[in-house]
Amino acid sequence: MKTINLILRLLIGGVFVASALAKIGNVQISHAHGFQFSHVPDLAQFAQDVGNYHVPPRALGNLVAITLPWIELLAGGLLMVGLWKRASAWVITAMMVMFLAAITWALAHGYDIRCGCFGTVEARKVSVIALAEDFAMLAVAAWLAWREEDSTTRKMETSK
Amino acid sequence: MKEAYETADDRAIPAAGARPACTLRQALVIVLAGAALGLAANAVSPRGIPLLTPPKAPPRAKDVVTLDEAKALWSSGTAFFLDARATSDYKAGHIAGALSLPIDEFDDYYPQIQSVLTTDSVIVCYCDGLDCDLSHRLVDRLRELHYRNVRLLVNGWTTWHTAGLLTHSGTDP
Repeated sequence: MKTINLILRLLIGGVFVASALAKIGNVQISHAHGFQFSHVPDLAQFAQDVGNYHVPPRALGNLVAITLPWIELLAGGLLMVGLWKRASAWVITAMMVMFLAAITWALAHGYDIRCGCFGTVEARKVSVIALAEDFAMLAVAAWLAWREEDSTTRKMETSK
Repeated sequence: MKEAYETADDRAIPAAGARPACTLRQALVIVLAGAALGLAANAVSPRGIPLLTPPKAPPRAKDVVTLDEAKALWSSGTAFFLDARATSDYKAGHIAGALSLPIDEFDDYYPQIQSVLTTDSVIVCYCDGLDCDLSHRLVDRLRELHYRNVRLLVNGWTTWHTAGLLTHSGTDP
């Protein structure tokens, strides 16, 4: 069970770190050079992608675009290294619920918009497939949040 | 608090019962620290964005051209069509002859465009989607730079290519 949880943590944490870096560092994929960090965060474009979901309140779109990638990075990174595992798994679970709600909202309104799931790197549109992926990730994150033990808490318990 | 750990339920599912308050506090720290980092990064970034999304100004009716008007301007060959979308969208397909001027990278692309425009040039800006405000922002930006004849084709790309009008893909106009 420990090994499985470790693999799941690396997987989910990795996806979150990768998607955060894509938003923060604006990785560009060029055919000539493969992966490339341009170091120019395209925050305005990402904010536009967030805004296109039209989830009210509209004014908060920018704030989400500014803060979300860094929360993803922190939570994903902590989950990968195994610090505050349960807490980071809970944060990721909460974010997955948010993403699912947003994608459902967009699909329900028939918006033909960019997913923005990995920042502006991928031009993928919001789709049922993205929804299914998010469901799978939510299930794993929730599992980790529920079952994962924190080393600190365990220490507290064993020492008593 | 100590007794709480020793109940039968907690022993059955040790992880689920382990100090929820502690986990909650840590989760809160992750969210707040992440948000603080994001705000700080945005504050120092030269390309930072406003914290709150500015409300979208409705297009002024006289600035908007219909598809027929746009078609006529396009046929006349005297108007410049400017694509306000990201370059990737431009490459995937644009109105034939349109120049790429992504509003989000305005400063990088404007110098090239500037050399072919005069302040009297008739300019038609467009992006894609009824809610797309890239072209609105481009119109405003060009007005600030004293261009007098800037127009807007709402939902430009979709309107144009679904009407079967001439389009082009790639980096060339």
